Amino acid sequence: MRVLLYTGKGGVGKTTLALASALGAARHGHRVCILSTDPAHSLADALGQPVGPHPRRIAENVYAREIRAQLELDGAWSDIQAWLRELLKEEADSIVAEELLAFPGIEELVALRAVREVEQTGDFDVCVVDCAPTGSTMRMLRFPDALRIFMQHFFEFERKGARLLRPLMRGFDAGRLIPKEAFFDAFERLYEEIDDVRQILLDDDRTSARLVVNPTRIIVDETRRSFAYLSLYGIATDAVLVNREMPESVGEGYFSRWLEIEREELEVIEQSFPVPIKHVSLRPREVIGVEALEALSRDLFGDDDPAARFATGRPIRFRRVGDRTRLEIDLPGMTKEEISVSAKGADLHLRVRDSRRSISLPETLVGCPIEKVRLREPVLEIHFGNG
Amino acid sequence: MRLILYTGKGGVGKTTTAAATGALAAEQGLRTLVVSADAAHSLGDVFDVPLGPEPRRLAERLDALEVDARHVIESHWGRVRGYLVALLRYQGIEEVIADELALLPGADELATLVSVEKWAESGDYDLILVDCAPTGSTLRLVTLPEVAHSGLRWMLRLQRATARVVEPLARGLIGAPLPNAEVFAEADRLFYKTLHRLRARLLSAQTSIRIVVTPESMVIDEARRSLTDLCLFQLASDAVIVNRVLPEQACREAFFQEWGRTQIERIRDVKAAFSPMACLTAPLEPDEVRGVAALSEHGKMLFGDRDPAGRLGSSLRLRFERDQSGARIRLPLPGLDPAALDVIRIEDELVIGVGERRRKIALPIGFAKLEIDRVSYRDGELLVSFGTASSSHSSPSSPCAATQAAP
Repeated sequence: MRVLLYTGKGGVGKTTLALASALGAARHGHRVCILSTDPAHSLADALGQPVGPHPRRIAENVYAREIRAQLELDGAWSDIQAWLRELLKEEADSIVAEELLAFPGIEELVALRAVREVEQTGDFDVCVVDCAPTGSTMRMLRFPDALRIFMQHFFEFERKGARLLRPLMRGFDAGRLIPKEAFFDAFERLYEEIDDVRQILLDDDRTSARLVVNPTRIIVDETRRSFAYLSLYGIATDAVLVNREMPESVGEGYFSRWLEIEREELEVIEQSFPVPIKHVSLRPREVIGVEALEALSRDLFGDDDPAARFATGRPIRFRRVGDRTRLEIDLPGMTKEEISVSAKGADLHLRVRDSRRSISLPETLVGCPIEKVRLREPVLEIHFGNG
Repeated sequence: MRLILYTGKGGVGKTTTAAATGALAAEQGLRTLVVSADAAHSLGDVFDVPLGPEPRRLAERLDALEVDARHVIESHWGRVRGYLVALLRYQGIEEVIADELALLPGADELATLVSVEKWAESGDYDLILVDCAPTGSTLRLVTLPEVAHSGLRWMLRLQRATARVVEPLARGLIGAPLPNAEVFAEADRLFYKTLHRLRARLLSAQTSIRIVVTPESMVIDEARRSLTDLCLFQLASDAVIVNRVLPEQACREAFFQEWGRTQIERIRDVKAAFSPMACLTAPLEPDEVRGVAALSEHGKMLFGDRDPAGRLGSSLRLRFERDQSGARIRLPLPGLDPAALDVIRIEDELVIGVGERRRKIALPIGFAKLEIDRVSYRDGELLVSFGTASSSHSSPSSPCAATQAAP
């Protein structure tokens, strides 16, 4: 199953283009499921028809579903929830408590599980994910890493602690607040599922990210950073989609200055991203409903299958040059000052602005010194010496 | 000290609007700080200067910063961090712990709250403007003090209850370092004092939320849902700002005619859905709005004669209640003819029809499964009572005619 992640700065038209791609892929004969993981869902608004937490058919071979953290948790994570509810019991009235149970981050977590569920049904060839705006999408994508760190270093400790405390606290009022074994079991299951999704996301044959952008400076700047973060987390972006280009016909009027700005930005876009760029212009009215979305899809993709892989490059790759190996990673829009690199044991630690990732080095590079780090826009090269 | 939070769907222009408000207010004499709380920061891009986690002076009386969760944890959370470092060392690894903590759910929101409270307390500012992350996570931000408060209370009680008996024993058995009283004292200071103060501040009359929208139906639908959340947490909102309104000159061009027609309707929708909040409009500018001077000009277009820091309108006093006897929604709707009132629930929305007009209210999660039991109208207030959970949560409920209460 192909997984297409649509992300970008808020308001650029992620939902609209994700839907257009889903409908286009169906036209090419695929069975498509589109998921919205943005807690502020807009699939229904863009389709002009209701979409719920259960898959709903919206066109031939296309099903849509909104992930609602609260409902998903009701179903599968009642053990974790029961404990949280106990925590909150005395603090908040019950209406507020229910809203609070969907704490920040939970949406991302549940969204990741949903991708796996879609794959497991075996009913779909393509899963299009309409992600939340960049900030929380990045959090979603690094969640598996964070969870892995937590599981490796804290989890058993917590569990041991709870096991130890439970009998001792019997009879004390606070005793009921110690998480039960079922809580830990649920957590472990959750971790295993999330780890499965991690495998799917990191497999560039299966998963591609698509960045949606509008041709204005602030949006282009942010999108370049997003591209870099996606690379850093090992997720391959295979196309950048430029939405809402002003049509030439407005060149003489009120927006003539916008057209000039756009031309400059389109050039920056062409130079910034090492993947194909696709374009679609601003429509004369709101794009709502299947028909309008299908028309948009034809303009955007032409005869191409939206589910195709438009670029085959890997975001992080090892390359052999002579007798030396170097690691290359695509980091558009970053300056050298924003990047730091260090090797520690079998891991390479990379920091890009406020994000960090550890990359496991292949056996042959463990212990090899880093000779040189060079930024050749947009590629960061890390040259290793011989150990 | 006045605190204003800007929220709204992504891309509507929250950052520009917050920055424009700041530029104008500073020009008019208020010591102003603009805070960006969106993890994908663009405030620096809008002001056209790089910003960091400490205030940077941009013009006379005008400062700005971008919150960085890692920075906050490093500077405000020394002991807790120290404990976690010790724990990690025991596990055999040495890592930069703040980075891992910054990944935890809620860390960004927490960092924002701590920053805002720090600068609010400092007395250095008359006005703090917060440019929030897109809607979904923004509202969680204001709920965090309650969650954190509960979590910590639990830890404190557990610690107090177990310290004497269990701790020495646990120390021996687990072998790992346990948090000591100082760690808890610091957590206590952070959560009980800082967050408690902040919660009081958020609920005070000095704080307002402003919702930013564009005249597009997708955006307005989402804003209506966040209005429900604001009412749920009893946060005061004073205005809705319709941004990127096409100026008349542009609407006359052939390509934009249809957009021009729709936007008139959309602005009408906004006014109806958000009254009695004030409704302001700002034009789509013919050029990118960047830098303090351009922002201040944009602020003048937006506020006209109004005080950018003032309370521009009053919030919708929609109330959600739930207790043993059931769940209720109260909404003041003065001067209605009860006979013309029709209230139904469709999926997770409550649709209130008054004659030809309909007002949709997004229901909180806990209400979405309940059926309407009774609708009454008394003293200018609509009261909708809900019964037990319905068997199917996706089927619309049957229309329920309004019943007139005895005067």
